[in-house]
Amino acid sequence: MSLRLSDLASCFEGVIPSIIATASADGMPNISYLSHVVRVDDAHVALSNQFFAKTAANIRANPKVTLILVDGFTGAQFLLDIGFVRSVDTGPLFDRIALQLKASSAQVGMSEVMRLRSADIFRVHAIEAVPSDVETIPAAASRAPVSLPALSEAIRAVEQAADAGGIIDSLLAAVRQVLGYGNALVLIHDSHHGCMVTAGSIGYEHSGLGSEIAGSEGLIGSAAATARTIKVNDMSRLRRFGEAIGQEAEAAENLTRTVAFPQLPAAMSQIAVPMIARGTMKGVLFIESAERLAFREDDEAALEILAGQAAGALANSEREAAAAEPAQAARSAAPTAVGREISVVHHRYDDSVFVDGTYIVKGVAGALLRLMVEWHLAEGRNEFTNREMRLAAGARMPDIKDNLETRLLLLRRRLEEKQAPLRLVRIGRGRVRLNVDGALTLGTAGA
Amino acid sequence: MRLDDKLLEFLGRPLMCIIAGADAGGRPSAGRGVGFDVQEDRETIDVIFSAWQSPRLEADIRQTGRVAATFVSPSDYVSFQLKGRASLQETTARHRDCAERFMAAATNELEALGVPRHIIPPWLTARGIRVARLAISEIYVQTPGPLAGMLAGAGSP
Repeated sequence: MSLRLSDLASCFEGVIPSIIATASADGMPNISYLSHVVRVDDAHVALSNQFFAKTAANIRANPKVTLILVDGFTGAQFLLDIGFVRSVDTGPLFDRIALQLKASSAQVGMSEVMRLRSADIFRVHAIEAVPSDVETIPAAASRAPVSLPALSEAIRAVEQAADAGGIIDSLLAAVRQVLGYGNALVLIHDSHHGCMVTAGSIGYEHSGLGSEIAGSEGLIGSAAATARTIKVNDMSRLRRFGEAIGQEAEAAENLTRTVAFPQLPAAMSQIAVPMIARGTMKGVLFIESAERLAFREDDEAALEILAGQAAGALANSEREAAAAEPAQAARSAAPTAVGREISVVHHRYDDSVFVDGTYIVKGVAGALLRLMVEWHLAEGRNEFTNREMRLAAGARMPDIKDNLETRLLLLRRRLEEKQAPLRLVRIGRGRVRLNVDGALTLGTAGA
Repeated sequence: MRLDDKLLEFLGRPLMCIIAGADAGGRPSAGRGVGFDVQEDRETIDVIFSAWQSPRLEADIRQTGRVAATFVSPSDYVSFQLKGRASLQETTARHRDCAERFMAAATNELEALGVPRHIIPPWLTARGIRVARLAISEIYVQTPGPLAGMLAGAGSP
């Protein structure tokens, strides 16, 4: 065949519905739309078999099937002659198709309607372009491919970053500079609370640091739960995935103890890339764009490479911080507390912490701040080690064994963002200092 | 089978249309409809397509005389499929008018739903249009959901 499946990449994005024609054993044709076609390899496609009973029955009786695929960029159409091979209802290929179907049916607002039961695998016999009397504009070709030298340099920057903050910042810089996307978030995995927490962002009016995605919610939760990249490429007909909270939520932070999730109202494409190091979920890189079909196959591959590198670097930074830390921080007396009183209130039930009535953070990061304030008040010191924090809090929150650095990063950034009168400074591997601009008091609320 | 009032009302909305035939060996063909014209008896419908764009569809209709046509309302996915025997008819000025109106309505509807206008023209062409006159023998609800695939038409609520 002169056209190959790999030439039809933009047809497999699930943006414009495909068409499937079958015929019964007695020769009566049947035609319907098809939400998603997956390219399995150069000779096979898989169809989500959530379609209609008649199509399914026809395929069993007569394996000859005709598809029309549509390029989501240009509208160009392709006619495929395919033949049914087999069905799959479990296994990696089925999982891949199920995940893609979930994203693509969500993008047409039908995720509740479409439930994948099984997928059918077909062999592709012929592909031909459907004639068009307008010249299609090759929009895909107008963007340059990802630059490998730039990608390589970005990977070096991620690897050479000094700490978790530097790693996340280098990753976000690479997203902007190498791939040209202006809106991105890095969320870190909090297995203690079963959620993802935003630890870095670019391009949003409100940074969203500390905002959370619960469980397997939306694109980000799905990517984390399945350890697979998941994207939507045309949200023109869809309310954004349900993570967004109203604009007024920023002001309501102190009441809700929930940071508003950042949002790009005009988003047309979104992608969530899991950050996995040696099989462990470290977080998710999330990017959105106002362009349709903003994430091509090679963009996706570059993002997966970057996310994997960043995950590895984060894991290394945890190990190095653990290995390098001294047994105990210098017991240098803290400067005598002078100036105004700073009220720190800790709520036991969710470990949320307020400084002078302003919500800062909750969860592990909140528990760590309480610990440092307690030590500061009891022992008069300002410097703390990762090790002592791990020993003190690890029994209740085993998650911090592998994620202490990112929790401290989140705490540091939230204190900065809220311009709190106490700040956290990293003073070396595995060591931090709490700078306090006044006299601390610690209160506890809740049972 | 007769198209009821509900179906006629549906057919008055901006729609997209897809058409299938099958050759004598059971190999299906597919193409897009660019217009239709319900006949007075309500049991026959002229389905218009571009034979220039879908030559296999034309050949299959000529060979086996069987057609399935699905109409979908892009704004809510409500769909119906009509099936039956079909024969090619002479294309008239009325058919050309039907095609022009259908294509204009579909283009506007898709654009209003956020589909970029520049990607729509490859789907809708009046070049080399032909007409298949379909004697409706089966009507199916094709809207995704619990009723999908069920028989509809005369007598349906």
